Amino acid sequence: MDKTAVLDLSEALNRADGDQDFFVTLATLFLQESPKDAAAARAALERQDRAGLAAAAHKLKGSVMEMCAPRLFECTKRLEELGQQGKFAEASPVCADVETRLAEVHVALRDVIAGGFPS
Amino acid sequence: MPHIGQVPDPSQGIETLAATILLIEDEPVTRTSMAARLTRLGYRVLEAENGRVGLEVARRERPDLLIVDWMMPEMDGLTFCDAIRGDPQLKSSQILLMTAHDAPAQIAEGLVRGADDFLSKSSSKQEIIARVLAGLRTSRLVRKLETTGEELKLSMLLLEKKQAETEADLQTAAAFVQSLLPSPGSPVHGITLAWEYQPSLTLGGDLFDVMTIDADHLGLYILDASGHGVAAALRSASLMTFLRAENMLQLLGSYDPANVLFEANRRFPLSADGDYFTLWVGQLHLPTGSLSYASAGHPGALLSSAEDPSRWLTTASFPLGFDPSARFTCDRVSLKPADRLFLLSDGIYEVPSPSGELWGRDRFQEAIDAGKQTSLSATIASCFAAARGWQQAQHFPDDAAVVGIELTDCREDTSNG
Repeated sequence: MDKTAVLDLSEALNRADGDQDFFVTLATLFLQESPKDAAAARAALERQDRAGLAAAAHKLKGSVMEMCAPRLFECTKRLEELGQQGKFAEASPVCADVETRLAEVHVALRDVIAGGFPS
Repeated sequence: MPHIGQVPDPSQGIETLAATILLIEDEPVTRTSMAARLTRLGYRVLEAENGRVGLEVARRERPDLLIVDWMMPEMDGLTFCDAIRGDPQLKSSQILLMTAHDAPAQIAEGLVRGADDFLSKSSSKQEIIARVLAGLRTSRLVRKLETTGEELKLSMLLLEKKQAETEADLQTAAAFVQSLLPSPGSPVHGITLAWEYQPSLTLGGDLFDVMTIDADHLGLYILDASGHGVAAALRSASLMTFLRAENMLQLLGSYDPANVLFEANRRFPLSADGDYFTLWVGQLHLPTGSLSYASAGHPGALLSSAEDPSRWLTTASFPLGFDPSARFTCDRVSLKPADRLFLLSDGIYEVPSPSGELWGRDRFQEAIDAGKQTSLSATIASCFAAARGWQQAQHFPDDAAVVGIELTDCREDTSNG
C-alpha cells in the first residue's frame, strides 16, 4: 500500500467485500463521525490530557483503517503514540497534520460518493 | 466446514445461521463494517458500543461468541473479560479480543484477563472467518459439555431420588420380614429362645421360626433361599407362609418334619432361574424332650449338650425342588435339660479370612462349645463376633443367621421333680 496515498479505494472496497453501496454507507458514516474524533483530539491536546488525546486518536485511527487512508492513518497512529507519551509539544503539529489529512480524505470520499468509483 | 475465504454454508449448524455474535466496539465505522461482514457470513449479530452495554446484552442474549474491542470508554475490553469470567452464567463464553496491539506482553495480558483469541483490526476477511469459526467451534463444544454436565447432574438427582425410594421400600419390606421372625425370650414354658440374624443386603433370604404346634409340640425350622436380595426374600417369605403351623396342621394333620419337607418339596420346585431352598425342620415333643428332625439339603443344626460333646443333626438329601417325588427321612434325638439346639445358615461359617480361608463349621462348633457357660444370647453373639473377627469385616458376604433354643425345664422333670 502506498503510504502517501490519500485513499486506497481498491483495498477499501475489498474490506467492504466488494459492495460499493456498503462502502458509500461506511464513507458517509466516516464523514459524520471522524470530525468529532478529530475535535476530541484537538480539545484533549489543548487541555494536555494524555489519555484523552490517545483515546481520541485511537478511535479516529480505527475508522481511518476502514477507509484505507494510509497517509491519515500514519498521522493518527503517531498522534496516538505522542498522546500516550504525553509529548504535547510534538503532538501539536501532528494534530494539525491529522486535521489537514482528514480534510483531504473527506474531499476524496465526497468525490467518490458524488461521482462513483473510478472504473 | 467452509474453507477459509468461503462463505459458510447455513446448513452447517451453530457456525452459521444459528450462531449469535455480540460485537462490542465503540467506533461506529469499524463496528458497522465488522457487523455487516459477519451478517453477510450468515451470523446473527448483536452490537454494543461499550463493555458495560455489552455485558447487559451478553447476560440477556447468551451469544455464542463475543468479539470485543480492547480500547473503549466506560468499560474497556480487558475489564469486560474480567466481568465475563467472574459471571457464573457467562464465564465459559468465548471471547475474541479485537485490537490494534500485537506486542507479546499485551497479548499475554489479554489472555490472562480471559480472552480466548485475538483479532487484529487490520485482519483480512479470510483471517476473520477463520478466527470466528474457531471461536464458534469451541463455543459449541463448551456448550455441549455444559449441557451434558447439566443432564448428568439431573440424571444423578433423579437416580438418587429413585434410590432413596427403593431403599425406603426395602427398609419397609425388611421391617415386615423382621416382624415375621419369632420374638426372643420364652416361646413356651421351659424353653428359651435367642437369635441373631444379619442379612447380607437390606433384605435377606434366610428365614426361621420357632412356634407352638399344640400343647405338647414345638415346631422349628430354618430355611435358606439360594441367591440374595429382594427376589430371594420374596421366595423365602412365600415358603415361610406355607410353613405356618396352622397351614401344616390343616394340610398334614401334624408338623412331622419328613412330611413337611415332602409337601414343601412338591410345592416349591426349582424356579425358572434355577433358584431353590434348603430347609431344616424339627419338632420337639415338650413333655419328653424328643426332637424329630429332617433336612432338605440344609447343613443342619448343632446340638450342644451340657454333658456330652456337641453333635450335628443333619440328614443327607437334595434341597427342595430338585426331585418332586423325593422322600425325606426323619431322625430323632433326645434333648435333656440345659441342652441347646442351634439352627444356623451356612452364611455364619462360610466367611473367608482376608487370605481366603473359610472360618468353617468346626470353628463355629468350637465357638458354641466355648460358650456353654454363658447365656444363650451371649453364646450366639460371641459366634457372630468370632466370625466377624475372622473375616475382619462387619458385614457378611451371605445372609448369616443363628437361632438357639435351650431347654431350661422339662415337664416330665417338673412333674417328676
